[in-house]
Amino acid sequence: MPEVTPEATPLTAAAGTGPALAAGGDLLLDVRHLVQEFVLRDYGGAKGGVLQAVSDVSFELRAGETLGIVGETGSGKSTLARSVIQAPPPKQGAVIFQGQDLVGLSPRAMKPVRRELQMVFQDPFTSLDPKWTVSRIVGEPLTAYGLGSRRERRERVNSLLELVGLDPADYGRRQPRELSGGQAQRVAIARALVLEPKLILCDEPVSSLDVLVQAQVLNLLEKLRSELGLSYLFIAHDLALVKQVSDRVAVMYLGKLCEIGPVRDIYRQPLHPYTLALLTSIPSAGPSARKREARTVIRGELPSPLDPPSSCRFRTRCPRAQERCAAEAPQLRAVGSEGHLVACHFPLSGREGTSAGSGTSADTGAQGEPAAIKR
Amino acid sequence: MAGPLGQRVGRRAAPSAGASSAERHEPVSPGSGPDAAPLLEVSDLRVRFRSRDGMVVNAVQGISFTVEPGQTLAIIGESGSGKTVSAYALMGLLPRTAQVSGSIRFRGVEIVALGEKALQDHRGRNVAMVFQNPERSLNPTMQIGDQITEAVRQHLPLGRRQAADRAVELLRMVRIPAPERRCHEYPHQLSGGMRQRVVIAIALACEPQLLIADEATTALDVTTQAQIMELLLDLQRELGTALLMISHDLALAASYAEEVLVMYAGQVVERASATDLFARVRMPYTRALIDAVPRADQESHVLLPVIGGRPPDLSAVMPGCSFAPRCPDAQQDCRQSAPPLEEHEIGHWWACWHPCGTERPADA
Amino acid sequence: MAVPVADALSPAPPAGDVAAPGRRSRTRGLLRTPEITIPAAVLLLLLFFCFVWPHIYPVPPPTGGSILDSGLPMWSPGHIFGTDNVGNDIMSRILYGGQVSFEVAAAVQAIGLVIGGALGVIAGYFGGPVDSVLMRVLDVFIAFPSLVLILAIVDSLGQSELNVIYALAAFSIPAFARVSRAATLRLRDQPFVVAARLSSVKSWRIISGHLVPNMMPQLLTFSLLGAAVVIILEGALDFLGYGIPDPAPSWGKMIANGQTMLSVRPSLVIVPSIFLFVTVICLNLLGDGLRARWEVR
Repeated sequence: MPEVTPEATPLTAAAGTGPALAAGGDLLLDVRHLVQEFVLRDYGGAKGGVLQAVSDVSFELRAGETLGIVGETGSGKSTLARSVIQAPPPKQGAVIFQGQDLVGLSPRAMKPVRRELQMVFQDPFTSLDPKWTVSRIVGEPLTAYGLGSRRERRERVNSLLELVGLDPADYGRRQPRELSGGQAQRVAIARALVLEPKLILCDEPVSSLDVLVQAQVLNLLEKLRSELGLSYLFIAHDLALVKQVSDRVAVMYLGKLCEIGPVRDIYRQPLHPYTLALLTSIPSAGPSARKREARTVIRGELPSPLDPPSSCRFRTRCPRAQERCAAEAPQLRAVGSEGHLVACHFPLSGREGTSAGSGTSADTGAQGEPAAIKR
Repeated sequence: MAGPLGQRVGRRAAPSAGASSAERHEPVSPGSGPDAAPLLEVSDLRVRFRSRDGMVVNAVQGISFTVEPGQTLAIIGESGSGKTVSAYALMGLLPRTAQVSGSIRFRGVEIVALGEKALQDHRGRNVAMVFQNPERSLNPTMQIGDQITEAVRQHLPLGRRQAADRAVELLRMVRIPAPERRCHEYPHQLSGGMRQRVVIAIALACEPQLLIADEATTALDVTTQAQIMELLLDLQRELGTALLMISHDLALAASYAEEVLVMYAGQVVERASATDLFARVRMPYTRALIDAVPRADQESHVLLPVIGGRPPDLSAVMPGCSFAPRCPDAQQDCRQSAPPLEEHEIGHWWACWHPCGTERPADA
Repeated sequence: MAVPVADALSPAPPAGDVAAPGRRSRTRGLLRTPEITIPAAVLLLLLFFCFVWPHIYPVPPPTGGSILDSGLPMWSPGHIFGTDNVGNDIMSRILYGGQVSFEVAAAVQAIGLVIGGALGVIAGYFGGPVDSVLMRVLDVFIAFPSLVLILAIVDSLGQSELNVIYALAAFSIPAFARVSRAATLRLRDQPFVVAARLSSVKSWRIISGHLVPNMMPQLLTFSLLGAAVVIILEGALDFLGYGIPDPAPSWGKMIANGQTMLSVRPSLVIVPSIFLFVTVICLNLLGDGLRARWEVR
């Protein structure tokens, strides 16, 4: 039974057609000074150390927009997502969703909130109960909230399955084991949508999928965004992927936010040295593939998250680091264009932070020579 | 030259394999002439698996390629394309349930159907492999140094002291700082990137002529990936080792390999130099792969051009091109007979009746 | 098609978009695995003979035999396994004794599964003080040498099949609790459980809908392997004289009584021993076979 796949579409330039909200609507999510810690226990249960996975992170997300969060291992991006949905709640800070602070809410008070805030996980096979059928999985939230009669629930489940490109008659009765990676992730997406949420947290939703399937699922997420007026908090380690789906991007390193801003600015004029290192580390294909000679290779190893460097956590690997970086922690501040914030004492100027993401053979060699910035 | 981060931005010297160890290897560079003997010759390799329920999986359906000494070759494919199985076949690592036919000649010696004893000699000495997850490749209860010396003494007649020295030398070669101290550490004390360096050190312990990297950087962060790839290529140049990269990441292959093979459903569907592959892609499948990868120079919120469908079931051998059911350019003859892999242009092979003819428009 | 060797030799590459085989081939595959079908068939056969056969065929009673018939050797007409020194038909004693063994094993494992399983799930899911208290209580039972405690229980309660069941259940419950708690801890943080909590699914529904069904294969396997142990323990109890009261037969008692005549009539010991052995082996093989099968999925 062929699945109805919403792809094979040519390149469309129009974004946000349909009932999509123009990015930059009301403030949907306001995260302030979020801190999340984990106590590590030695053998025998004694307290071994405290891992501060998320350290004083603040950002805003407006209705209709997609905020991408990028970071490597140990950046704390997944922990950040879990803290936003209060699973578990953060140690400090506020998560203000639609005007209400979620931190410290009782499970009963959280119940109406959870309808508006859902999550899609990285591995579709562990996020679906292996013994349940697809219909039951997608319908579970409806049952939990006691919404509608059985027939109405079934209809809603079926319509959602169709929306994600799966024929309900065929796939409804299947178990996750009988699905492929892409199909399973579609089921997870359908489940996240069933309560009509406003904001969906996507925690590396396509990392475990093959290239072509990944593109299918990304297109699906994009289509749903414009059709249903959703907002996404999109977590990934792949910078190119994040750019594909995001309006704004935040870069994290060892639990701290390095840089945040509109996606074009971040990619064309990164201000934080770490962001530049990330951008230039991406191998790129295509006839405009950056020659290897011009690729940045970052130095050193990631410090242990248990004992991160003081003040600026990137200073041990940053070639621009100076004494001030060890003495004084850089704060997020606006530099240059509107909405583009960076936490660095010596951010890259427009010239050095060249169009690393634009695919030209970036001439990063000659100092002080402005690289060609298109448009 | 120094870039904005003060990084080393030198030009990589043209690969001249074996230049520094001319005594040990033939000083050949890739494509140096028809008399250059290939290091590895694979002819019509086929691998079938028989599963417990009696199902047969045709994982590899007749692939042929060569690897020259010192060359960097990449095999690209999605899961189920047969790329990993092919790599395992080159190492003789396939389980007994696998039926291997065809020919794999390493420096003229046939590998297929070689006995286990001879295979153990072959592995590590001639060919070594670096796997995806360094956690899985290293013994968590053994010190790093001991694991390297174990690999060294497997193939080289060195005493304990000499082998230990060699271990330190290898760690230094893979750019692990303070190698003497690190020798006594356990894998869990190292980061992912460091562990992968140790795995590379073990692989290179006996200076094999071919190194196979099976998704060696997939589990690593992108910055670490760049470091490890640079390391691999520098080592390759120093030791004259040929490198076979197995990956699903087309961009990675384009950036680091000289020649790229694209596999689909157990067959090689396109083969070309890295630049040719992207500038003049021919196979619709390859083009679909290229188009489906998000690129940092695209606008956001734009739908990716992607084809539907799924890879074919490998337990049935269908007539016609295996990609035809999904191919946007498929025609009647594609479904009837399978196109053979042929060198239609110099250095560019493809298996397609109706390839993409035009060059890709250069990006603006 | 996911290549088998990739899983065995290295972590699987990114999930391919091909699905696993469907339902029909699964059941057919089950029937084709001899490590499961053969022990299962043998066990079913034994159950049939112990419980159903005496109702169909006029088997001589296991007790109250006449002295005149005593000491008949194996393969005598009317008494396939011969008679014991009191005149009871051995085959009949095997069948009725087998009933006892199977009844005790089934009852003990059922009690353990339900009560022990529930305790373990509660301790594992809610954690905290509930977990600590429950586990310490159960640890007390586990810390005791089992046979000593069982003997003490039976001694104080008196000898009967029911009391034997209670005594053995005292050990089955903590064992199941341990297993189900471990399984619960493992499943509790799986994304699909987290997803259910994110949809405000109530705790008891999470436990009954998600945790228990995913634990059942493991618990059932444990039951089978444990049943073998219970049968042996019950036999040991009878052997020591603390099991079911005379004159009801049981395999353990037959072995105990027969050992005095071992040199003269070894069949009195060998026959019940063989039955005990075959039953335990089949339970073990079946449990192992099912575990291997469920682990692959």
